[in-house]
Amino acid sequence: MKKILLPFFILTFLPAQLMAQPLVDSPKYQKARGKMVSLQIRLRGVSDKKVLNAMSQVPRHRFVPKELLSQAYADHPLPIGQGQTISQPYIVALMTEKLKLIGNERILEIGTGSGYQAAILAKVAKEVYTIEIKEKLYKKAESLLRSLGFSKIKTRHGDGYFGWPEAAPFDCIMITASIDHIPPPLLKQLKDGGRLILPLGNPFSYQHLSLVTKYDDEYTVKQITGVLFVPMTGHALDQNPRVTNDIP
Amino acid sequence: MILAAVFLLSLSSLALEVLLTRVFSISQWNHLSFMVISIALFGFAAAGTFLNIIDTQKKDWEKRLSSSGPVKIFIILYTVTAIGSFMVLNRIPLDYFRLPLEPVQIFYLLTAYLLLTLPFFFAGLVISLAYAFIPEKSGFVYFASMAGSACGAIIPFPFLPFLGEGRSIILAALIPLIIVPFEKPTTNKKHALTKNISRGKRFAFQVTCLFIVLMTGLLVSVEDGLEPKVKPSPYKDLSRFLQFPDTRIFETVTGLRGRFDSVHSPYTRFAPGLSLKFKDILPEQWVIYKDGDTPFFIYKQQLQKDEWFSKFTLPYAGYMLVPNPEHILLIQDGGGSGIPCAMASGACNITVVEQKPKIAHIVRNHYNIPVVNQNPRAFMAQSDKHYDIIHIENWGGSLPGSDALTQGYLFTTASFSEYLNHLTENGILIMARKLLLPPADSIRLWAGAYESLRSLEFENPERHIAVLRNWSTFTLIVSVRPFNDMTGLKDFARDMNFDLVYIPGITKEMVNRFNIFDAPYHFFEISRLAEAYRSGTEEAYFETYPLDVAPQSDSRPFPGRFLKWNRLKALYKITGSRFYSLFMSGEIVVCVVFLEALVIAVFLLMIPVFTIKKQDKKPNISLLLYFLAVGAGFMFLELFFIKKYIFIFGDPVISLTVVLTGILVFSGFGGCCSQRIGPGGLRYVLIALIAVLIFIFLGLDPMIHRILELSKILQYTLATLLLILPSFLVGLPFPLGMRFLLNRPAHRAYAWTANGCASVLTSIISAQIAISLGIPIIILCAAAAYLVALLMSNTKTIGQK
Repeated sequence: MKKILLPFFILTFLPAQLMAQPLVDSPKYQKARGKMVSLQIRLRGVSDKKVLNAMSQVPRHRFVPKELLSQAYADHPLPIGQGQTISQPYIVALMTEKLKLIGNERILEIGTGSGYQAAILAKVAKEVYTIEIKEKLYKKAESLLRSLGFSKIKTRHGDGYFGWPEAAPFDCIMITASIDHIPPPLLKQLKDGGRLILPLGNPFSYQHLSLVTKYDDEYTVKQITGVLFVPMTGHALDQNPRVTNDIP
Repeated sequence: MILAAVFLLSLSSLALEVLLTRVFSISQWNHLSFMVISIALFGFAAAGTFLNIIDTQKKDWEKRLSSSGPVKIFIILYTVTAIGSFMVLNRIPLDYFRLPLEPVQIFYLLTAYLLLTLPFFFAGLVISLAYAFIPEKSGFVYFASMAGSACGAIIPFPFLPFLGEGRSIILAALIPLIIVPFEKPTTNKKHALTKNISRGKRFAFQVTCLFIVLMTGLLVSVEDGLEPKVKPSPYKDLSRFLQFPDTRIFETVTGLRGRFDSVHSPYTRFAPGLSLKFKDILPEQWVIYKDGDTPFFIYKQQLQKDEWFSKFTLPYAGYMLVPNPEHILLIQDGGGSGIPCAMASGACNITVVEQKPKIAHIVRNHYNIPVVNQNPRAFMAQSDKHYDIIHIENWGGSLPGSDALTQGYLFTTASFSEYLNHLTENGILIMARKLLLPPADSIRLWAGAYESLRSLEFENPERHIAVLRNWSTFTLIVSVRPFNDMTGLKDFARDMNFDLVYIPGITKEMVNRFNIFDAPYHFFEISRLAEAYRSGTEEAYFETYPLDVAPQSDSRPFPGRFLKWNRLKALYKITGSRFYSLFMSGEIVVCVVFLEALVIAVFLLMIPVFTIKKQDKKPNISLLLYFLAVGAGFMFLELFFIKKYIFIFGDPVISLTVVLTGILVFSGFGGCCSQRIGPGGLRYVLIALIAVLIFIFLGLDPMIHRILELSKILQYTLATLLLILPSFLVGLPFPLGMRFLLNRPAHRAYAWTANGCASVLTSIISAQIAISLGIPIIILCAAAAYLVALLMSNTKTIGQK
């Protein structure tokens, strides 16, 4: 009997192992993700349940290079090659939360990158349109998002500066690439009352997020301060005690 | 033979050092260049330690190793390791940006250290052998070394534009091979222990040289893979930009001042400070990158309308205050968006000052406006023109913290005074910069403007200053006339959705309306600062503020430096306890490198102490201190002049070349003349040197300012002449010490080690001294070092001949 079981074992187990995705969402990654959400995101004040759920569900490790897998859930951004980075988990969560999504929004993301941010947005909003100008990144992200079952995300290879006029207007626009001015065409594709969010600063140092809100033809730009970037003046320290309770 | 070897190896190794600095500046950021090259120079010092260890094993090693055969072997090894290390380094994926994140980068860094140390080790070996073997000719050895180094400082200049960095390095590495195929029969009795090289060995050397040259020629001529082209890090601006479709470099010009890549792309869009009210499309642009970063944008002005976007930018607030300006002066240091601003104002005369010759040439040809290729401070010192508007554009580096070590004179209080003195009676000064949080740069510039106005005896200086911002940039405006009516500025800000930060009579209700922070931090801080100046407590304000925001002077011109060491812990916490964010700071890198260098120096200096068994043969502390002091003094002097001359020439590369060449040549002559000085002369030399250094500390500044007003030829001439006396004198202590203070070859090798260690440590610490205490302190440090040398030279514990 044992002799029969052995070849049976070899014939079934081994091919299964060979064919298995090397990056399955194993308990190890699930645990790391849970810890990431608790310690890096919830504890820093992100409380939107939809966002927290999205961060808990989307397997971030699928979006990082294999050689950095061990750091996929670490509390910092990661280089993903070709001069690109995947943002720190907290920044992704914060940016998503600040858009105040209720689930029926149409969102445009400029700069698909790894595709991680688009995946998070897809869990929270109704439709996600994402544009990536670099073809290699676009193809990789599109393939990955499709393989992960994100059918709500429409991807495009193109120049995000001009937005996605055919699908406009949008409730929200998220720019993930660094820029020195907000593209006028994007502001035109924002609905009245719509929000545009973008991070400013060096990805490996400090960043501050800016939220642009459109009212008729007037715009306000609100700086959102995060853990990484709270002003150091005594005045600000008094007003932001969470700075001194930073998470290790 | 050995003197020729010393000359050629010194030439080649300094050229190698200069070129490697260029390579790292292009492929990485200056931080990594500083890190790697500083440590690699310990190769020189390590050679002396190695010879000390040999001394414990072999007798008469200095005679054997300094004969023709071994010297040629060392030269060959130098060339092979120089070329090999560069080729390998060009291929390993060492990336400064990923250094704090990927553990494997530490391995790459250590590999870089080790590989680059090797060629300097072999060069140092030959030079220290020369001192050990012919101490009675120390002066000539010194001259050969200094003269060779001086040539090495200049040689990259003509070759770089044609060969590029990689091929220039290879050529520099091959130079010492010139003497290897040749053999001069020696009659020197000192080499009695060694015979002349046999014909067979001579032939072997010749074949080896030919082989190396041919292989190298093959390497550099191969199209793919092995071509030694230097590529920027994928995280540099240029590399990221090149990934956009239809984006290509159409011209590359390389030289000692940098590599300039001109890029065409349909995705070039630069408009810092652009209002959200601008609805149109920006004009087409193209961009020039310097060393893969620091872009300069050129706007294709097809229609008059294309300039209109400038009227929606923040700096235009200043132009709006001067209707119909006649004369505008633009001082450009990166960016390029100031030119469309000036053109949109309708001014009849626009003058641009641009230091980089390549960019000056392009701007002149493209915009058809006068461009002065000159150091801005020199231009201001030589010009008596007055302008309605002076606009300074400088956006800083792309990597935060990378500017901390950068010396620049655009924003010192003295510069503010120059600008104000060149404005008409209704003139306006405009400065556009990136907005930082926490407030830093805006405070510093406001303070610089205030102190300058005060020194020029303007009443109520704060009434002449205004600051506006948007979400990522700010503009400082200084007016010759006090701002009495702010209506125009307020309307402009409101219409464009910009925010006021400071205007005379500003209140809290007027700020933070369109670009909203949690609190109006910049308004708060500048208001506090203004109050501090009114009450005379501005020093206390600068003392208590978490960052160093005090206005910069010409003695301490580091506009990008904000770190306060006593607040480092708080800074670390505030950035989320992330070590890598601190690593972006140039100052932190200096500290890390200094600690690394100190460990290596102690290691190299202690090895002989522990390996030499006989007490009377061990190097003694006085010997060590003397040569440490002499090495430190020389380097302090060199770095002092390099930093000082940046003020004259405006460019650190030009300054480095002039100073290095001058100091090396004149100190070489000093070394040569040391042959005529007897043992009693050392004391007087050191006393004279200390006196000259103190005189330089007290009297150089007025001379430098006077030189600034002169023509370029006179600047170069006088700057070089000023180097003669101190350089000549610093060329004496080392060879005199070698001749008269030491009596063993091993001690001479050890002295070489001490000198080398001191040079490296000093070059690193000088950067910090300049930033923290000011450039003049460096020359005082030089004087102090030579004082130590004087005291040590008087002790009787050093062996006398």
